[in-house]
Amino acid sequence: MYGSASGTNRRSGGPSRRTMLAAAGLGLSVATSGCVREVRSAVNRNDVGQLSLTITTLPADGDRESILLAREIRSTLEAVGIAVEIEMRSEEEFRRSVLVNNDFDVYVGQHPGDVDPDFLYETVHSRYAEEAGWQNPFGFADLTVDDLLEDQREVDGDEREEAVTDVLETIAADAPFVPICAADEYRLARTDRVDGWGDDHPTTRLGYLGLEMVDADAILRAAHTDPRASENLNPLAVEYRNYGTLVEVLYDSLSTVVDGEYEPWLANDWTFDDGTMTVTLREDCRFHDGTPLTADDVAFTYRFLADTTLGDSAFPSPTPRYRGHVAAVDEIDVLEDHRLELTVETGEAVAERALSVPILPEHVWRERASAASVPGVRLAEGTTEAVVTDNLPVVGSGPYQFDDHTVREHVTLERYDDHFTLREGVDLPEPTAGAIRIGIDPRSTSAIELVESDDADVTSLPLESYVVDDVLESTGDDVAVVESPSWSFYHLGFNVRKAPFTNPNFRRVVARLVDQSWLVESVFDGHARPIATPVSDEWTPEELAWDGEDPVAPFLGAAGDVDTGAARDAFEAAGFRYADDGTLRVRR
Amino acid sequence: MLLQVLLQLTVVVSLMILFGVGVVVGRRRLRETRLEWRTRVRAAAPITAVLAGVLLFNSVARDLSYDVAWLVDWNLTWPIYDLEGQFILWLQSYATPWATAYFSFIYIYGYVFLLVFPLVAYFALSNTRPMRELLTAYALNYALGWLLYATIVAYGPRNMLPEVVALLYDTYPQYQHLTRQVNRNTNVFPSLHTSLAATVTFLAWRTREAYPIWNVVAAVLGVSVAISTMYLGIHWVIDVVAGIVLAYVSVVLAGHLVGRWSLRSLRGGR
Repeated sequence: MYGSASGTNRRSGGPSRRTMLAAAGLGLSVATSGCVREVRSAVNRNDVGQLSLTITTLPADGDRESILLAREIRSTLEAVGIAVEIEMRSEEEFRRSVLVNNDFDVYVGQHPGDVDPDFLYETVHSRYAEEAGWQNPFGFADLTVDDLLEDQREVDGDEREEAVTDVLETIAADAPFVPICAADEYRLARTDRVDGWGDDHPTTRLGYLGLEMVDADAILRAAHTDPRASENLNPLAVEYRNYGTLVEVLYDSLSTVVDGEYEPWLANDWTFDDGTMTVTLREDCRFHDGTPLTADDVAFTYRFLADTTLGDSAFPSPTPRYRGHVAAVDEIDVLEDHRLELTVETGEAVAERALSVPILPEHVWRERASAASVPGVRLAEGTTEAVVTDNLPVVGSGPYQFDDHTVREHVTLERYDDHFTLREGVDLPEPTAGAIRIGIDPRSTSAIELVESDDADVTSLPLESYVVDDVLESTGDDVAVVESPSWSFYHLGFNVRKAPFTNPNFRRVVARLVDQSWLVESVFDGHARPIATPVSDEWTPEELAWDGEDPVAPFLGAAGDVDTGAARDAFEAAGFRYADDGTLRVRR
Repeated sequence: MLLQVLLQLTVVVSLMILFGVGVVVGRRRLRETRLEWRTRVRAAAPITAVLAGVLLFNSVARDLSYDVAWLVDWNLTWPIYDLEGQFILWLQSYATPWATAYFSFIYIYGYVFLLVFPLVAYFALSNTRPMRELLTAYALNYALGWLLYATIVAYGPRNMLPEVVALLYDTYPQYQHLTRQVNRNTNVFPSLHTSLAATVTFLAWRTREAYPIWNVVAAVLGVSVAISTMYLGIHWVIDVVAGIVLAYVSVVLAGHLVGRWSLRSLRGGR
């Protein structure tokens, strides 16, 4: 005992307060043993101090709105007695911290969202709290929410609508994250070389197919404000993907979204019969390297995404993207070369969504099931080559194939002339441009200039909101503004694993400190839609629709100015304490 | 677009240098240079090779420093912002279109002129020591700067306070293409713009007897470059101060190093 105590002292470089007091108490104990008990009781308590937290977010180069939101939220929280720091991390590092390592207090960022509300299944189901990716980065676990999420998967039609409403209401009340707004998506496009912009959503593959090229086979030039596309084209690398548009163009999936509905794509057809999905593939499809695409590749894809180690490791290591999609599939059987049977535990709607994952070539990805290795470094268990590879050059089967890239300059795709959409008798939008050159241009202002000066045909990512008024006011000849609906949303996410964010009452008060309407005006210049629930407009139930204020967590204050007295009362009602100097005190 | 900007830059800076040679260097020194240029080139050749090596390494390893810095993950942005707070906002509150135009011009054209002109001017001196010191100091700036960039992650004001700053890129988006070739956005501590400009200013003071006019011009340009980096929202005050310190260290070190080794002494000396 004596030895271990001195060992502690040596490590900490001197006797700690506790050991000093203990030693002093020991001396006194001869005289007064009751006093020692009091000392023990007084000393063995955790300190109370001001609540301090760090908001993790992106620098303005990556996401201008997030840093502005983070700073506004910071000043509100500081006003109510919380000490707040902001940590900016690059796009990749932000996602690595938040989504892979869950190393954050709260974060402000954009979720890619989805047309179907089933994305909430992987986003907040407790089953995914341990996994990397957009699946439950919050570490949220609530039995009621779990049950409701499972319920909405199993039903269809009106029944599903009701189930989804239940999910959304419960999530809004529990507030694992605070939805802020969905930014309006505006893009700038030249119409003298290409027409048909915006017929399909520009974040999906169809946005780049079926365009009317004035000069057939010409190169489509996109000005892309995110350099990550030129560095990595791995469909599973969550750090590098936003919407995954390029992945959709390079890879095929069995289904594709057309006007919010899942329609056959690589699948010729499917039938759904009480938990069994029978899929027929298009015949004679090949990957870009000439290898035939068969039902085996499809089956491999689903098995691989469910466990990227393919059973080689002590425990499964599922994909950080498409997690909810593949979780819907229980079993997959290859019937013939071009026919498969998927057993699902879900209703038809969720099963169709499960068909939208990119089909990976088995001959390329099988060897990526091995553990990644860096000489001299011990990597996290379950880190496979599949999640860390940059996947260049890409071998997919999609309408465009990888041609060339230069990091932070461009990535160029070439039309894949053997793609099934180019066949006669296939009535689907086809690749009309001979090639797509995605040039990297890190700011909206210079991307706009490239389009205006005919050096680019389109700004492929939505314009930052501060330039939207300028382009809406005037554009050059043959330049049009394309507006598209948005389902990606800005939000404030809590790390529910850490106190005091573990406490739903605390989160609910913070939710009431976020003034969405005002943030939309001040940060987005009004070019966003304040939201109280993270799903697309069509899925938003009446109870959660924005009606001038948040129907669940109305702002404690007015016009961005927080009512500090009301906020303090709310925190105190939730069991938190304030010091005389107005700081919020918590046990550390 | 990049080519167009580069061409414009080359033409403007060349004209500035021609003008500077006429005013600052003078005909007598040019005549001497025509006679002695061989020995001067020989004197400057070793350190020029070193500088070329450092620059080459820099251009190849720029992305490396970015990745290494994120591996080290020592993020100084918040401490810097917390320490100096709103100075940049205060500075920008005095922004006028003319000031923006002036400082944008200084940041791009003035800076390149400030770095290139002394190479020409010192080449025209029969004493080659200033030229060798300048080249050594440039090499030291880049080498030490790279080491700092590879250990520290720091974003500039325009990334933290985008609502008011980023004047350069929003007013003149074409320069984005130019500076993007040279900088990664996490490399703001220290300000290499400031350190190189201050290096030239310090050395101009040392050579004030040979080039009294240049001493004044370099001081004005050096101060303008330092202010421009802050005014345009690219650097924090702390980056600029660190840049000046880096310049001072480089100049002092260059003074010690130059003349210590020469090719002649390496060959055994005579």
